[in-house]
Amino acid sequence: MTADQPFWNPRTETMPREQLRAWQWTKLRRAMAQARGSKFWADRIPEDITSFEDYVRRVPLVTKKDLVAAEEIAPPFGLLPSIDPSAAVRFHQTSGTSGNTPLRTFDTARDWAWAVDQWCTILHGVGVRPGQRAILAFGYGMFIGFWGMQDALMRMGCAVLPSGSMDSATRVRLLVDYQIEVIGCTPTYALRLLETAADMGIDLAADGNLKTVITGAEPRPPATVRAIERGFGAKVFDVAGMTELATVFTFECPGGPGISHIIEPAAIEEVLHPETREPVGYGERGVRVMTGLGREGWQIFRYWTEDIVIKRPWHECPCGRTWDWYEGGIIGRADDMRKIRGISVTPVMVEDVVRGFTEVREFQTVLRADRGLDVMVLRVEPTDPASARPELGERIAAEIKRTIGLLPMVELVEPGVLPRFEAKAVRFHDER
Amino acid sequence: MTSGELTPREERQLRECYAALHELAATCSVPSVRTAARAAVAEVHVALDGQALDFEMYTHRWLAEG
Repeated sequence: MTADQPFWNPRTETMPREQLRAWQWTKLRRAMAQARGSKFWADRIPEDITSFEDYVRRVPLVTKKDLVAAEEIAPPFGLLPSIDPSAAVRFHQTSGTSGNTPLRTFDTARDWAWAVDQWCTILHGVGVRPGQRAILAFGYGMFIGFWGMQDALMRMGCAVLPSGSMDSATRVRLLVDYQIEVIGCTPTYALRLLETAADMGIDLAADGNLKTVITGAEPRPPATVRAIERGFGAKVFDVAGMTELATVFTFECPGGPGISHIIEPAAIEEVLHPETREPVGYGERGVRVMTGLGREGWQIFRYWTEDIVIKRPWHECPCGRTWDWYEGGIIGRADDMRKIRGISVTPVMVEDVVRGFTEVREFQTVLRADRGLDVMVLRVEPTDPASARPELGERIAAEIKRTIGLLPMVELVEPGVLPRFEAKAVRFHDER
Repeated sequence: MTSGELTPREERQLRECYAALHELAATCSVPSVRTAARAAVAEVHVALDGQALDFEMYTHRWLAEG
């Protein structure tokens, strides 16, 4: 019997920074050589890149719009593949919300094994161990979602209960009946399960056995995390991934709340100023630009993600990993930022305030123009409408005014009126 | 072994295992064996990558070889 090892790959999780940098460079060089097979990347990446500095100087940033356009030339993958897509064993695509064309990707068996291993890095790192039981609450569709987590759990020797087509009440029953210890879902859906359990008269913190809640796919504020931890009686760990990378690339470390380590052997992560596009330093807010170091078939270099992050140096986390981390994970989206009467507001800022009120079950933010004046309307569904009115609305409005600097109009609505979400929640609507 | 580092012997075994599987995956004419070897190559490659021992893109070579 060996002692429990906290790291999935002790060597690459704790290697000195200069060795880590050298290992990244080895992988980047091979990735760029592989990319000669892609018409799209061959045109963008010079053949004679000599260093990281040379790489960021000479390889242009790429946006999702660029990638979608390259695929539309000859769907489904257009100019992007570095090898023949007939080698693929999986296809995925982005959700294509708001009527946008989805971005389509594929993985070879080699790519998927690599993607799954990044999930193993995370799951092992947050304490998941063989023999545990898990449930993944997502649609099991083309959105990459928790597919990698499913295969990682099985690879590690955990049991997965597939719940793709089940409703929330059935999932609550599974959590209790099977004494599930691990769940993967969006933060929004975790709250939805708690709401359903309450309606069923079930206290999941007392009747369930959850130890680890893996949340992803949405930025989530601390108030939401606290609500989920309280409701499940479990520890919440945030992870972030993307279809464009095939897998996850950051995870919240047991070393401290809000410390989201970057899996640096898997990706090179730059943080750039949202307007000047120049690098920002540790502790400064910027947009995450990502280069994937894993896939052989559908590759990505210097991708402007729109994710807002604040990078911190590795040694400020006590866990022992030499990987840098993001403070609070993905804290928002550059394309989510809205100006209301000169004040910058993001969905996460509003959610952080609203989730602080335990009397709120669901909410929705609508930005409107009223006689030339921008207004923020907050539609709130109270947990107990009979006892909440009307001072709940006044208290929420006052707290938003205090924390964000903007006084919203708060409308209390009847239970069940506002939409519920399983995947990425859309609670923020700009109707101006 | 609990230090979290491979011993030299384990590292050698891992490399030899990968090389043997790679050869089978590329050349074996028995579909079931070739398929099993290719799946195993992918898994062992991940282990090599995780230990910073090796990193390669290889599927395109199999496509060329048929």
